[in-house]
Amino acid sequence: MNERAGAGKPTQVITVLRPIKLLAVLFSAPLLVACAHVAPYERGSLAHPTMTTSDIAPPSEGHVRAVQEGAAGGGDSAGGGCGCN
Amino acid sequence: MLALLATAVDARAQSLDARVATEYGQYADSEHVFVETPSVRGAVSDPTRGWSVDGQYLVDVVSAASADIVSTASRNWTEVRQEGILDASYKPHSFGVQASGYLSSEPDYLSVSAGGAITQDLLDKNVTLLLGYGRSHDVGGRTGTPFSVFSRVVDRDAFKAAVTLVLGPRTVASLLGDVMLDSGDQSKPYRYVPLFAPGTDVPKGASVEVVNALRVSARPLEQLPLSRQRYALTARLAHRFHLATLRLEQRAYADSWAMLATTSDARFLFDLGPRVETGPHARVHAQSSVSFWQRAYTYGPGFDYPALRTGDRELGPLVSVTAGWTLNLGLGSDATPMSWVLGFHIGATTTQYLDDLYLTQRVSALGGMMLEADL
Repeated sequence: MNERAGAGKPTQVITVLRPIKLLAVLFSAPLLVACAHVAPYERGSLAHPTMTTSDIAPPSEGHVRAVQEGAAGGGDSAGGGCGCN
Repeated sequence: MLALLATAVDARAQSLDARVATEYGQYADSEHVFVETPSVRGAVSDPTRGWSVDGQYLVDVVSAASADIVSTASRNWTEVRQEGILDASYKPHSFGVQASGYLSSEPDYLSVSAGGAITQDLLDKNVTLLLGYGRSHDVGGRTGTPFSVFSRVVDRDAFKAAVTLVLGPRTVASLLGDVMLDSGDQSKPYRYVPLFAPGTDVPKGASVEVVNALRVSARPLEQLPLSRQRYALTARLAHRFHLATLRLEQRAYADSWAMLATTSDARFLFDLGPRVETGPHARVHAQSSVSFWQRAYTYGPGFDYPALRTGDRELGPLVSVTAGWTLNLGLGSDATPMSWVLGFHIGATTTQYLDDLYLTQRVSALGGMMLEADL
Protein backbone atom coordinates (compact mmCIF):
# COMPACT_ATOMS: atom_id res chain seq x y z
CA MET A 1 0.00 0.00 0.00
CA ASN A 2 2.81 2.42 0.85
CA GLU A 3 5.33 1.28 -1.72
CA ARG A 4 6.63 4.48 -3.29
CA ALA A 5 9.52 5.44 -5.50
CA GLY A 6 12.76 6.78 -4.02
CA ALA A 7 12.72 4.71 -0.87
CA GLY A 8 16.36 3.46 -1.05
CA LYS A 9 18.83 6.37 -0.73
CA PRO A 10 22.06 4.78 -2.16
CA THR A 11 20.11 3.55 -5.18
CA GLN A 12 18.58 7.00 -5.58
CA VAL A 13 22.01 8.71 -5.52
CA ILE A 14 23.35 6.36 -8.21
CA THR A 15 20.19 6.86 -10.26
CA VAL A 16 20.62 10.64 -10.06
CA LEU A 17 24.37 10.70 -10.74
CA ARG A 18 24.31 8.47 -13.81
CA PRO A 19 22.40 10.94 -16.03
CA ILE A 20 24.49 13.85 -14.66
CA LYS A 21 27.68 12.08 -15.78
CA LEU A 22 26.11 11.48 -19.17
CA LEU A 23 25.20 15.17 -19.45
CA ALA A 24 28.76 16.17 -18.50
CA VAL A 25 30.15 14.05 -21.32
CA LEU A 26 27.61 15.44 -23.79
CA PHE A 27 28.41 19.04 -22.87
CA SER A 28 32.16 18.67 -22.97
CA ALA A 29 32.10 16.91 -26.34
CA PRO A 30 31.27 20.05 -28.38
CA LEU A 31 34.29 21.80 -26.85
CA LEU A 32 36.60 19.13 -28.19
CA VAL A 33 35.59 19.63 -31.80
CA ALA A 34 36.68 22.67 -33.79
CA CYS A 35 34.10 25.45 -33.85
CA ALA A 36 33.92 27.91 -36.69
CA HIS A 37 35.67 31.12 -35.70
CA VAL A 38 33.34 33.96 -36.56
CA ALA A 39 34.67 37.48 -36.08
CA PRO A 40 32.47 40.14 -34.43
CA TYR A 41 31.99 42.04 -37.72
CA GLU A 42 30.58 38.89 -39.32
CA ARG A 43 27.80 38.49 -36.75
CA GLY A 44 25.13 40.79 -38.10
CA SER A 45 22.81 37.89 -38.92
CA LEU A 46 23.35 36.31 -35.50
CA ALA A 47 22.10 39.50 -33.82
CA HIS A 48 18.67 39.22 -35.47
CA PRO A 49 15.94 38.82 -32.77
CA THR A 50 14.77 35.51 -34.24
CA MET A 51 18.27 34.03 -33.81
CA THR A 52 18.18 33.90 -30.00
CA THR A 53 19.09 30.55 -28.49
CA SER A 54 16.21 30.82 -26.02
CA ASP A 55 12.67 29.67 -26.66
CA ILE A 56 10.73 32.36 -28.57
CA ALA A 57 7.24 30.99 -27.88
CA PRO A 58 4.86 33.62 -26.45
CA PRO A 59 3.95 33.29 -22.73
CA SER A 60 0.50 31.79 -23.39
CA GLU A 61 1.96 29.08 -25.63
CA GLY A 62 4.62 28.16 -23.11
CA HIS A 63 2.01 27.75 -20.40
CA VAL A 64 -0.26 25.56 -22.55
CA ARG A 65 2.67 23.26 -23.34
CA ALA A 66 3.56 22.97 -19.65
CA VAL A 67 0.04 21.73 -18.93
CA GLN A 68 -0.51 19.50 -21.96
CA GLU A 69 2.87 17.75 -22.13
CA GLY A 70 4.09 15.40 -19.42
CA ALA A 71 7.71 16.32 -20.12
CA ALA A 72 9.54 19.40 -18.83
CA GLY A 73 12.79 21.25 -19.41
CA GLY A 74 14.28 23.07 -22.36
CA GLY A 75 13.81 26.69 -21.28
CA ASP A 76 16.34 29.44 -21.77
CA SER A 77 19.76 28.49 -23.03
CA ALA A 78 23.20 29.98 -22.53
CA GLY A 79 22.67 33.01 -24.74
CA GLY A 80 25.58 34.22 -26.79
CA GLY A 81 25.93 33.86 -30.53
CA CYS A 82 25.86 37.49 -31.59
CA GLY A 83 28.62 38.39 -29.12
CA CYS A 84 26.61 41.40 -27.96
CA ASN A 85 26.47 40.34 -24.28
CA MET B 1 6.19 45.40 -12.50
CA LEU B 2 4.93 49.01 -12.61
CA ALA B 3 8.31 50.18 -11.33
CA LEU B 4 10.01 48.27 -14.12
CA LEU B 5 7.72 49.82 -16.71
CA ALA B 6 8.38 53.28 -15.29
CA THR B 7 12.10 52.56 -15.46
CA ALA B 8 11.64 51.44 -19.05
CA VAL B 9 9.96 54.73 -19.94
CA ASP B 10 12.70 56.67 -18.17
CA ALA B 11 15.42 54.58 -19.82
CA ARG B 12 15.22 56.46 -23.09
CA ALA B 13 16.50 59.61 -21.45
CA GLN B 14 19.52 57.72 -20.13
CA SER B 15 20.33 56.03 -23.47
CA LEU B 16 19.47 52.59 -22.17
CA ASP B 17 17.70 49.96 -24.23
CA ALA B 18 14.13 49.46 -23.06
CA ARG B 19 11.40 47.22 -24.42
CA VAL B 20 7.84 46.66 -23.28
CA ALA B 21 5.42 44.05 -24.58
CA THR B 22 1.91 42.93 -23.86
CA GLU B 23 0.16 39.78 -25.04
CA TYR B 24 -3.41 38.55 -24.86
CA GLY B 25 -3.83 34.83 -25.45
CA GLN B 26 -7.00 32.75 -25.67
CA TYR B 27 -7.20 28.96 -25.43
CA ALA B 28 -10.19 26.69 -26.04
CA ASP B 29 -10.48 22.94 -26.45
CA SER B 30 -12.99 20.21 -27.23
CA GLU B 31 -13.28 19.43 -23.50
CA HIS B 32 -14.90 22.81 -22.83
CA VAL B 33 -11.82 24.30 -21.17
CA PHE B 34 -11.30 28.00 -21.85
CA VAL B 35 -8.28 30.05 -20.77
CA GLU B 36 -7.65 33.76 -21.19
CA THR B 37 -4.07 34.87 -20.61
CA PRO B 38 -3.19 38.56 -20.59
CA SER B 39 0.45 39.31 -19.85
CA VAL B 40 2.77 42.31 -19.76
CA ARG B 41 6.54 42.32 -19.94
CA GLY B 42 9.22 44.95 -19.62
CA ALA B 43 12.98 44.88 -20.04
CA VAL B 44 15.68 47.46 -19.48
CA SER B 45 19.30 46.91 -20.39
CA ASP B 46 22.57 48.74 -20.73
CA PRO B 47 24.57 46.92 -23.41
CA THR B 48 27.65 49.03 -22.72
CA ARG B 49 27.82 48.16 -19.02
CA GLY B 50 26.40 44.67 -19.59
CA TRP B 51 23.41 44.59 -17.25
CA SER B 52 19.74 43.92 -17.88
CA VAL B 53 16.52 43.56 -15.87
CA ASP B 54 13.48 41.78 -17.24
CA GLY B 55 10.06 41.37 -15.60
CA GLN B 56 6.81 39.70 -16.58
CA TYR B 57 3.33 39.57 -15.06
CA LEU B 58 0.73 37.12 -16.32
CA VAL B 59 -2.84 36.20 -15.42
CA ASP B 60 -4.62 32.96 -16.35
CA VAL B 61 -8.40 32.89 -16.16
CA VAL B 62 -9.44 29.25 -16.52
CA SER B 63 -12.99 27.95 -16.83
CA ALA B 64 -13.62 24.25 -17.27
CA ALA B 65 -16.27 21.60 -17.60
CA SER B 66 -14.13 18.69 -18.83
CA ALA B 67 -14.99 14.98 -18.73
CA ASP B 68 -13.01 14.64 -15.50
CA ILE B 69 -15.24 17.19 -13.84
CA VAL B 70 -18.46 15.75 -15.27
CA SER B 71 -17.41 12.27 -14.12
CA THR B 72 -17.24 13.46 -10.52
CA ALA B 73 -20.58 15.27 -10.79
CA SER B 74 -18.84 18.53 -9.91
CA ARG B 75 -19.96 21.98 -11.02
CA ASN B 76 -18.14 23.95 -13.68
CA TRP B 77 -15.49 26.19 -12.18
CA THR B 78 -13.56 29.32 -12.95
CA GLU B 79 -10.17 30.03 -11.45
CA VAL B 80 -7.62 32.84 -11.67
CA ARG B 81 -3.88 32.34 -11.47
CA GLN B 82 -1.34 35.16 -11.26
CA GLU B 83 2.31 34.80 -12.11
CA GLY B 84 5.27 37.15 -11.78
CA ILE B 85 8.81 36.66 -13.04
CA LEU B 86 11.84 38.87 -12.46
CA ASP B 87 15.22 38.24 -14.09
CA ALA B 88 18.44 40.20 -13.82
CA SER B 89 21.80 39.65 -15.42
CA TYR B 90 25.21 41.29 -15.33
CA LYS B 91 27.86 40.44 -17.88
CA PRO B 92 30.38 43.25 -18.35
CA HIS B 93 32.89 41.08 -20.21
CA SER B 94 33.13 37.36 -20.89
CA PHE B 95 31.90 36.23 -17.46
CA GLY B 96 28.32 36.86 -16.40
CA VAL B 97 25.91 36.18 -13.58
CA GLN B 98 22.13 35.82 -13.71
CA ALA B 99 19.46 35.78 -10.99
CA SER B 100 15.77 35.07 -11.29
CA GLY B 101 12.68 34.90 -9.12
CA TYR B 102 9.24 33.44 -9.81
CA LEU B 103 5.91 33.57 -8.00
CA SER B 104 2.67 31.90 -9.04
CA SER B 105 -0.50 32.12 -7.00
CA GLU B 106 -3.98 30.63 -7.39
CA PRO B 107 -6.64 29.86 -4.80
CA ASP B 108 -5.34 26.36 -4.04
CA TYR B 109 -1.72 26.53 -5.13
CA LEU B 110 1.29 28.72 -4.41
CA SER B 111 4.66 28.33 -6.09
CA VAL B 112 7.79 30.32 -5.27
CA SER B 113 11.19 29.82 -6.83
CA ALA B 114 14.56 31.52 -7.07
CA GLY B 115 17.64 30.68 -9.01
CA GLY B 116 20.92 31.82 -10.40
CA ALA B 117 23.37 31.01 -13.16
CA ILE B 118 26.87 31.84 -14.31
CA THR B 119 27.94 32.16 -17.92
CA GLN B 120 31.37 32.20 -19.53
CA ASP B 121 32.28 33.10 -23.11
CA LEU B 122 35.14 31.16 -24.64
CA LEU B 123 37.07 31.24 -27.93
CA ASP B 124 36.26 34.89 -28.75
CA LYS B 125 32.58 34.39 -27.89
CA ASN B 126 32.17 31.51 -30.31
CA VAL B 127 31.32 29.27 -27.35
CA THR B 128 29.22 30.23 -24.32
CA LEU B 129 28.79 28.00 -21.28
CA LEU B 130 26.08 28.26 -18.63
CA LEU B 131 25.67 26.55 -15.27
CA GLY B 132 22.52 27.23 -13.28
CA TYR B 133 20.64 26.17 -10.18
CA GLY B 134 17.15 26.96 -8.98
CA ARG B 135 14.99 25.90 -6.05
CA SER B 136 11.24 26.04 -5.94
CA HIS B 137 8.79 25.55 -3.11
CA ASP B 138 5.19 24.68 -3.96
CA VAL B 139 2.25 24.48 -1.58
CA GLY B 140 -0.93 22.86 -2.84
CA GLY B 141 -4.23 22.72 -1.01
CA ARG B 142 -7.98 22.86 -1.55
CA THR B 143 -9.90 25.92 -2.66
CA GLY B 144 -11.65 27.49 0.33
CA THR B 145 -9.49 25.66 2.86
CA PRO B 146 -6.55 27.53 4.43
CA PHE B 147 -3.11 26.05 3.80
CA SER B 148 -2.73 25.78 7.59
CA VAL B 149 -5.61 23.26 7.64
CA PHE B 150 -4.69 21.23 4.56
CA SER B 151 -1.65 21.54 2.33
CA ARG B 152 0.95 19.47 0.55
CA VAL B 153 4.47 20.70 -0.09
CA VAL B 154 6.56 19.89 -3.14
CA ASP B 155 10.17 21.10 -3.34
CA ARG B 156 12.26 21.06 -6.46
CA ASP B 157 15.99 21.42 -7.07
CA ALA B 158 16.68 22.24 -10.70
CA PHE B 159 20.14 22.09 -12.25
CA LYS B 160 20.87 23.40 -15.69
CA ALA B 161 23.91 23.26 -17.99
CA ALA B 162 24.04 24.72 -21.46
CA VAL B 163 26.51 25.40 -24.22
CA THR B 164 25.97 27.71 -27.20
CA LEU B 165 28.11 27.24 -30.28
CA VAL B 166 28.50 29.65 -33.18
CA LEU B 167 28.66 27.32 -36.16
CA GLY B 168 29.04 30.04 -38.78
CA PRO B 169 28.17 33.68 -39.57
CA ARG B 170 24.52 32.65 -39.99
CA THR B 171 24.15 29.60 -37.77
CA VAL B 172 24.05 29.13 -34.02
CA ALA B 173 23.30 26.00 -32.01
CA SER B 174 22.77 25.28 -28.35
CA LEU B 175 22.61 22.20 -26.18
CA LEU B 176 20.76 22.44 -22.88
CA GLY B 177 20.54 19.85 -20.12
CA ASP B 178 18.06 19.97 -17.25
CA VAL B 179 18.01 17.85 -14.10
CA MET B 180 14.96 18.41 -11.90
CA LEU B 181 14.65 16.67 -8.54
CA ASP B 182 11.13 16.83 -7.08
CA SER B 183 10.27 15.76 -3.56
CA GLY B 184 6.82 15.83 -2.00
CA ASP B 185 3.32 14.64 -2.70
CA GLN B 186 2.13 15.99 -6.08
CA SER B 187 -1.17 14.07 -5.94
CA LYS B 188 -4.20 16.23 -6.72
CA PRO B 189 -6.62 16.33 -3.77
CA TYR B 190 -9.58 16.62 -6.18
CA ARG B 191 -8.67 13.73 -8.47
CA TYR B 192 -10.61 10.56 -7.72
CA VAL B 193 -9.59 7.38 -9.52
CA PRO B 194 -12.32 4.93 -10.58
CA LEU B 195 -11.72 1.38 -9.32
CA PHE B 196 -12.88 -1.83 -10.99
CA ALA B 197 -13.25 -5.47 -9.99
CA PRO B 198 -10.43 -7.71 -11.25
CA GLY B 199 -11.13 -8.93 -14.77
CA THR B 200 -13.46 -6.08 -15.72
CA ASP B 201 -13.03 -5.13 -19.38
CA VAL B 202 -13.04 -1.34 -19.66
CA PRO B 203 -12.58 -0.14 -23.25
CA LYS B 204 -10.30 2.77 -24.25
CA GLY B 205 -12.16 6.05 -24.20
CA ALA B 206 -15.04 4.55 -22.20
CA SER B 207 -17.68 7.22 -21.58
CA VAL B 208 -18.62 8.59 -18.16
CA GLU B 209 -21.79 6.45 -18.27
CA VAL B 210 -19.90 3.23 -19.11
CA VAL B 211 -17.27 3.88 -16.41
CA ASN B 212 -19.95 4.58 -13.82
CA ALA B 213 -21.76 1.38 -14.78
CA LEU B 214 -18.62 -0.79 -14.51
CA ARG B 215 -16.76 0.68 -11.54
CA VAL B 216 -17.21 -0.23 -7.88
CA SER B 217 -18.54 2.39 -5.51
CA ALA B 218 -15.18 3.06 -3.82
CA ARG B 219 -13.25 5.84 -5.55
CA PRO B 220 -9.84 6.45 -3.95
CA LEU B 221 -7.97 9.71 -4.39
CA GLU B 222 -4.98 9.86 -6.68
CA GLN B 223 -1.69 8.79 -5.10
CA LEU B 224 1.62 9.56 -6.85
CA PRO B 225 5.16 8.62 -5.76
CA LEU B 226 6.70 11.05 -3.28
CA SER B 227 9.74 11.88 -5.36
CA ARG B 228 10.54 12.26 -9.02
CA GLN B 229 13.82 12.77 -10.86
CA ARG B 230 13.38 14.34 -14.29
CA TYR B 231 16.00 14.73 -17.02
CA ALA B 232 15.78 16.63 -20.28
CA LEU B 233 18.27 17.26 -23.06
CA THR B 234 17.35 19.95 -25.59
CA ALA B 235 19.16 20.88 -28.78
CA ARG B 236 18.36 24.06 -30.74
CA LEU B 237 19.59 25.22 -34.11
CA ALA B 238 18.89 28.60 -35.69
CA HIS B 239 19.95 29.57 -39.19
CA ARG B 240 19.45 32.98 -40.76
CA PHE B 241 18.90 32.99 -44.51
CA HIS B 242 18.96 36.23 -46.50
CA LEU B 243 15.36 37.12 -45.55
CA ALA B 244 14.24 34.28 -43.31
CA THR B 245 15.08 32.37 -40.13
CA LEU B 246 14.74 28.63 -39.60
CA ARG B 247 14.60 27.39 -36.00
CA LEU B 248 14.71 23.71 -35.07
CA GLU B 249 14.43 22.21 -31.60
CA GLN B 250 14.58 18.65 -30.33
CA ARG B 251 14.02 17.63 -26.71
CA ALA B 252 14.52 14.18 -25.23
CA TYR B 253 13.08 13.54 -21.79
CA ALA B 254 13.16 10.73 -19.22
CA ASP B 255 12.20 10.50 -15.57
CA SER B 256 12.26 8.13 -12.61
CA TRP B 257 8.55 7.35 -13.11
CA ALA B 258 9.64 5.63 -16.35
CA MET B 259 8.17 8.24 -18.66
CA LEU B 260 10.06 8.74 -21.91
CA ALA B 261 9.20 11.62 -24.22
CA THR B 262 10.38 13.29 -27.37
CA THR B 263 9.43 16.76 -28.58
CA SER B 264 10.28 18.25 -31.99
CA ASP B 265 9.61 21.89 -32.78
CA ALA B 266 10.22 23.88 -35.97
CA ARG B 267 9.58 27.51 -36.90
CA PHE B 268 10.21 29.27 -40.19
CA LEU B 269 9.88 33.03 -40.17
CA PHE B 270 10.37 34.92 -43.41
CA ASP B 271 10.38 38.64 -44.17
CA LEU B 272 7.81 40.03 -46.59
CA GLY B 273 9.47 43.41 -46.83
CA PRO B 274 10.88 45.45 -43.96
CA ARG B 275 7.57 45.63 -42.06
CA VAL B 276 6.17 42.10 -42.28
CA GLU B 277 7.57 38.93 -40.73
CA THR B 278 5.48 35.77 -40.96
CA GLY B 279 5.70 31.99 -41.11
CA PRO B 280 4.56 28.57 -39.95
CA HIS B 281 5.23 26.66 -36.74
CA ALA B 282 4.95 22.92 -36.13
CA ARG B 283 5.42 20.83 -32.98
CA VAL B 284 5.15 17.10 -32.33
CA HIS B 285 5.24 15.62 -28.84
CA ALA B 286 5.06 11.92 -27.98
CA GLN B 287 5.38 10.28 -24.58
CA SER B 288 5.08 6.90 -22.94
CA SER B 289 3.12 6.36 -19.76
CA VAL B 290 4.55 6.35 -16.25
CA SER B 291 5.22 2.90 -14.81
CA PHE B 292 2.14 2.88 -12.58
CA TRP B 293 -0.26 4.05 -15.29
CA GLN B 294 -3.35 1.88 -15.82
CA ARG B 295 -6.41 2.69 -17.83
CA ALA B 296 -8.54 0.76 -15.35
CA TYR B 297 -7.19 0.18 -11.84
CA THR B 298 -8.48 -2.94 -10.09
CA TYR B 299 -8.59 -3.68 -6.40
CA GLY B 300 -6.50 -6.48 -4.95
CA PRO B 301 -7.16 -9.22 -2.38
CA GLY B 302 -8.89 -7.80 0.67
CA PHE B 303 -10.17 -4.88 -1.45
CA ASP B 304 -6.71 -3.22 -1.33
CA TYR B 305 -6.26 -0.13 -3.47
CA PRO B 306 -3.27 -0.02 -5.83
CA ALA B 307 -0.52 1.81 -3.89
CA LEU B 308 0.13 4.20 -6.79
CA ARG B 309 -2.73 5.38 -8.98
CA THR B 310 -3.52 8.35 -11.17
CA GLY B 311 -6.14 9.73 -13.50
CA ASP B 312 -3.88 12.46 -14.88
CA ARG B 313 -3.87 11.79 -18.60
CA GLU B 314 -0.68 13.85 -19.02
CA LEU B 315 0.99 10.91 -17.23
CA GLY B 316 -0.41 8.46 -19.79
CA PRO B 317 0.74 7.63 -23.31
CA LEU B 318 -0.10 10.35 -25.81
CA VAL B 319 0.89 11.96 -29.07
CA SER B 320 0.17 15.60 -29.86
CA VAL B 321 0.65 17.49 -33.11
CA THR B 322 0.53 21.29 -33.35
CA ALA B 323 0.39 23.47 -36.44
CA GLY B 324 0.46 27.24 -36.19
CA TRP B 325 1.19 30.51 -37.90
CA THR B 326 2.82 33.77 -36.80
CA LEU B 327 2.43 37.25 -38.27
CA ASN B 328 4.42 40.26 -37.04
CA LEU B 329 3.76 43.74 -38.44
CA GLY B 330 6.29 46.52 -38.00
CA LEU B 331 4.65 49.82 -37.02
CA GLY B 332 7.79 51.85 -36.32
CA SER B 333 9.40 54.61 -38.33
CA ASP B 334 10.91 53.97 -41.76
CA ALA B 335 14.36 53.83 -40.19
CA THR B 336 13.38 51.26 -37.52
CA PRO B 337 10.09 49.67 -38.67
CA MET B 338 10.27 46.78 -36.15
CA SER B 339 10.76 49.05 -33.14
CA TRP B 340 6.98 48.77 -32.71
CA VAL B 341 5.55 45.34 -33.51
CA LEU B 342 1.95 44.20 -33.63
CA GLY B 343 2.00 40.41 -33.65
CA PHE B 344 -0.55 37.64 -34.05
CA HIS B 345 -0.15 33.91 -33.53
CA ILE B 346 -2.62 31.09 -33.93
CA GLY B 347 -2.21 27.35 -33.54
CA ALA B 348 -4.25 24.17 -33.39
CA THR B 349 -3.26 21.02 -31.52
CA THR B 350 -4.68 17.53 -31.74
CA THR B 351 -3.78 15.15 -28.94
CA GLN B 352 -4.35 11.40 -29.21
CA TYR B 353 -4.74 9.65 -25.85
CA LEU B 354 -3.65 6.10 -26.46
CA ASP B 355 -4.84 4.33 -23.30
CA ASP B 356 -7.29 6.49 -21.36
CA LEU B 357 -10.76 6.56 -19.92
CA TYR B 358 -13.28 9.15 -21.15
CA LEU B 359 -11.16 10.48 -24.01
CA THR B 360 -9.27 9.27 -27.04
CA GLN B 361 -8.69 12.68 -28.60
CA ARG B 362 -8.67 16.35 -27.70
CA VAL B 363 -8.54 19.24 -30.16
CA SER B 364 -7.44 22.64 -28.92
CA ALA B 365 -6.80 26.07 -30.37
CA LEU B 366 -4.61 28.87 -29.07
CA GLY B 367 -4.56 32.38 -30.46
CA GLY B 368 -2.85 35.50 -29.30
CA MET B 369 -2.20 39.14 -30.07
CA MET B 370 0.95 40.93 -28.99
CA LEU B 371 2.17 44.52 -29.01
CA GLU B 372 5.87 45.13 -28.46
CA ALA B 373 7.74 48.42 -28.48
CA ASP B 374 11.28 49.73 -28.13
CA LEU B 375 11.16 52.87 -26.02
